[in-house]
Amino acid sequence: MDEKKPVPKQEEEVKWYSYVALLFAIIFFSGILATSKEWYSVCDFTVLNGTFGKIAAANGKMLTFRGAGGNGAQDGFAFALSLLPAVIFALAVVNVVEGLGGLKAAQKLLSPLLRPLLGIPGACGLGMIASYQSTDAGAGMIKAMYNEGIINEDEKTIFAMYQFSGDGTITNFFSSGAALFSVLVTPIILPFGLIMIFKFFGANLMRMYIKYEHKKNGAKEAA
Amino acid sequence: MAEQEKKKNIIDLFIEGCRKGWDTGIRNMMPNVIMAFVIIKALNVTGLLKILGSVFAPIMALWGLPGEAITVLVSSFMSMGGGIGAAAGLLGSNVLSPKDITVLMPAIYLMGSLIQYLGRCLGTAEVNSKYYGIMVGIAVLNALLAMWVMKLLVVMY
Repeated sequence: MDEKKPVPKQEEEVKWYSYVALLFAIIFFSGILATSKEWYSVCDFTVLNGTFGKIAAANGKMLTFRGAGGNGAQDGFAFALSLLPAVIFALAVVNVVEGLGGLKAAQKLLSPLLRPLLGIPGACGLGMIASYQSTDAGAGMIKAMYNEGIINEDEKTIFAMYQFSGDGTITNFFSSGAALFSVLVTPIILPFGLIMIFKFFGANLMRMYIKYEHKKNGAKEAA
Repeated sequence: MAEQEKKKNIIDLFIEGCRKGWDTGIRNMMPNVIMAFVIIKALNVTGLLKILGSVFAPIMALWGLPGEAITVLVSSFMSMGGGIGAAAGLLGSNVLSPKDITVLMPAIYLMGSLIQYLGRCLGTAEVNSKYYGIMVGIAVLNALLAMWVMKLLVVMY
């Protein structure tokens, strides 16, 4: 993740297949098709991720290659190895969706919502999407937009708060998080959606705090 | 965002993504998981995990979690991968259940890697440092509230 300081560009046209890619990604990782026995369960991450083969243990139990009862660095290694396929597969799918412009489609859909939801200009959509992929890219774009006068000091702080909690959301959740996808007792989309919602919630707390601070300072100056 | 240089087809994109996944898995996830497993082993051998567990039991009980779950939150604060590693380690030693892991999942990210992100996010964006404290506070609050909502969702599900 090398740090770039991209300058927000004019909005490019979003192709129809970018919306399809975005919709596919949401369904694919949502887990709603995971338990289906029909052919369309092919559109599900956990279904295609599959399972490891089982090995019969002496006591008749079936175990994966990780075995049972391990601990310490050795068990950590075996466990990490068992997580690797999910991480590789998840990032492969994310890369395809990204390559087809799925995130650009998300940006286009998000931009008009930014003013009402966060009190920041719609132009921040690009930086927001960038921050889902890379903490460094997202933060670099906040700085670039501030330097160019697209956002003011307060908007910069609110936008930074939005990114700060759960930063690099997509990259992080679908890499390290993929490791525990098979353990989750709910569809994958629930914890992910919750993270997304609370990012907005936290940024709005910051927005309220800044408002309160201005009011306090205003009162001080008046006195 | 990566400029779309030459048009890559879906197969190219998939393979490229696999390589990224391999790199992240080997270079980021595995070291974090191994570290977390070693720390949990050390805490186990010294008996500290039990002590931590009983000290934090009343607090973590607010989310219906065993006291040991605090190690997941503390590790997350340092790095998201560490938090996942700690969760996996405690799952492996049957301290945490899959339900507990699900409840912890949003928190691992919402308050994840905050120590690093003070520099990488807030520092890079040149946020006024007087806000650092409150921003960390909000991120942790996000995590704690999200665990309650997640708990509710787990119960409903």
